[in-house]
Amino acid sequence: MAAVLASPIARGLLRIPPSYFVFIVLLATLWIARPNMLNLNIMGIFIRQIVPLGILVLGQLVVMRVKSIDLSGGGIILLINYFISSGSFPGASMPFFVVLALATGLVIGLFNGFMIGNRRVSAVIVTLAVSIILVGLVQFLSSGNPPGDVPKLFNDLYNTKFLSVPTPVLFWILLTAAVSLLLSQTVFGRYVASVGENAEAAHFSGVPVQRTVILAHALAGLIAAIAALVQTGSIAVGSVRVGLDLPILAVAATILGGVVFGRGDGGVWGPFFGALCFALLFVVMTVLGIDEPGKLIAQGVIILGAAIFYGVRVRTP
Amino acid sequence: MYHSLFNILSGRNTRQGLWGLPLLVALLISLWLTVETTQFATAENLFNLVAQAMPLIIAALGQLIVVLIGGLDLSVGSVISFTTAVLALDQPAIVLIPAVFLLAAFIGLINGLAITSFNVHPIIATLSTQYIVLGITRILRPVSGGSVPEIVIAAVSGSFLGIPYPVFWGIVVILVGWKLLYGSRYGLHLFAIGGGIASGAESAARNFGVSDRRNIILAYVVCSCFAAVAGVFLAGRIVSGDPNVGLLFELDTVTAVALGGTQLSGGIGSLHGTVIGALVMALLANGMNLANVSPFVQTAIKGGILLAVVGLQSRKKMGL
Repeated sequence: MAAVLASPIARGLLRIPPSYFVFIVLLATLWIARPNMLNLNIMGIFIRQIVPLGILVLGQLVVMRVKSIDLSGGGIILLINYFISSGSFPGASMPFFVVLALATGLVIGLFNGFMIGNRRVSAVIVTLAVSIILVGLVQFLSSGNPPGDVPKLFNDLYNTKFLSVPTPVLFWILLTAAVSLLLSQTVFGRYVASVGENAEAAHFSGVPVQRTVILAHALAGLIAAIAALVQTGSIAVGSVRVGLDLPILAVAATILGGVVFGRGDGGVWGPFFGALCFALLFVVMTVLGIDEPGKLIAQGVIILGAAIFYGVRVRTP
Repeated sequence: MYHSLFNILSGRNTRQGLWGLPLLVALLISLWLTVETTQFATAENLFNLVAQAMPLIIAALGQLIVVLIGGLDLSVGSVISFTTAVLALDQPAIVLIPAVFLLAAFIGLINGLAITSFNVHPIIATLSTQYIVLGITRILRPVSGGSVPEIVIAAVSGSFLGIPYPVFWGIVVILVGWKLLYGSRYGLHLFAIGGGIASGAESAARNFGVSDRRNIILAYVVCSCFAAVAGVFLAGRIVSGDPNVGLLFELDTVTAVALGGTQLSGGIGSLHGTVIGALVMALLANGMNLANVSPFVQTAIKGGILLAVVGLQSRKKMGL
């Protein structure tokens, strides 16, 4: 086993993010099972559904590259959805909601970052606790019932198309490109890479480790707020359950995309395909008649499988 | 005398962690509840409190063992739900009860192997098994229902000499935990491995001839088995299988463990602290129920406590 893993071909293959393989396998499965579903219109709809997940993945991959994790996305999405749909701000315009959402995400992200970077609390605990607090508060405020409607403009924007590509998908691709540029071209991107590779070495080389971690979390909060806006546009109503499973899916997609705590081999496009894998996976599972419990199992198996894939690789010299 | 009392209260210079303070908090909450409400200080309510706290105490002791070696088991809640679902499968108790523990041990084994042999971060490994086990539980029992064997129900609902059975469950579990942590070579090894991991010298215990791999795998197996005991207890209480009964339980156990002065980075902690931590959680829940606090707010408050107790701990490592 070790000898096979050490060969140059195997090591080259292990360098490619698993999401590309999984994507091809799922595409082939779908092509065999339902060839007529593989047209641009139908795929466009399926891909549009996972845009909130795809956006959340962008934040997740930034924090995972600094060896942290953000599971508070579910709470942020729920809170922003509540703000928009509850009617607490009567007559508010769309720009107001956008600014409110971004500010909310930024504040929560900064709080996460402060607790993790400054207080050095376990990131899983902080972000899970923040999520629980937000979910509990929203459910209390709405007394367990879904709040009201969302301003029509949100859903209208969500349904537009540009050159027969749904606008949300286009927006997602643009945002992914922006994050890709941020990580590859800016000083912040370099800091993120060096903190993830070795925080101690980065510290002694003059990299502001703590500030980088805090900023990464603030960015993740901001991106979660954007995901919340898109998610709210897609369901067009208030909900007390929306987006609760997204953070864990985002972690799965990011790991699948080759970004594992501190190691960023998959770049930004690996996780992008990781999110696409989930779009296809849900289609394939629906086609094969597998329902919600099966999806939970698939999520777990994918995270564990991808993590083992990397764990084994790190062991080989 | 003064010096040692101060040490106990502050948790300084001890391997036990800070557990005197939570005890004080528990006593203060009890005192407050006794003064504020007439229902609290009745034998009935107190026995009820023990029964309510018992699943958390049992599961938190399992979590403690994993936390001592610097790990974390997020699959505890799913294992509890899974146990109740398996117990409600309409099979004879003689088959179900051993099966429940074998399955739990198997889940723990997968966690342990993924962490040690495949180099997966404990949180990621147990997060995955949390979802896998939850999925299997939902397949076995999509909504709550079914009936658990009579013997399980009888084991939690009777009483002996006027003392309800849950009290005996507590005594037995604490004795077993005590033997494991303080009366066996294994317990000493746990503290040794955890102390090494917490101070950044991960091979420290190995260099002294303590097999970290085997002991870490065993810790996850023991944790899952404790969760299964909690599941059996809960199944007896709710007399059916419920796929959601263990929801967020893993975080409650982490809160109880951290509240009891155990350091999440490993190596420092105590059994009595964890029991006290779980009791504080139960007292708070009891108090909030008596004060008619909305269950949603209760969840939010629990999250806030988790954030506060873990936020007050200091550790060297940043991130996960």
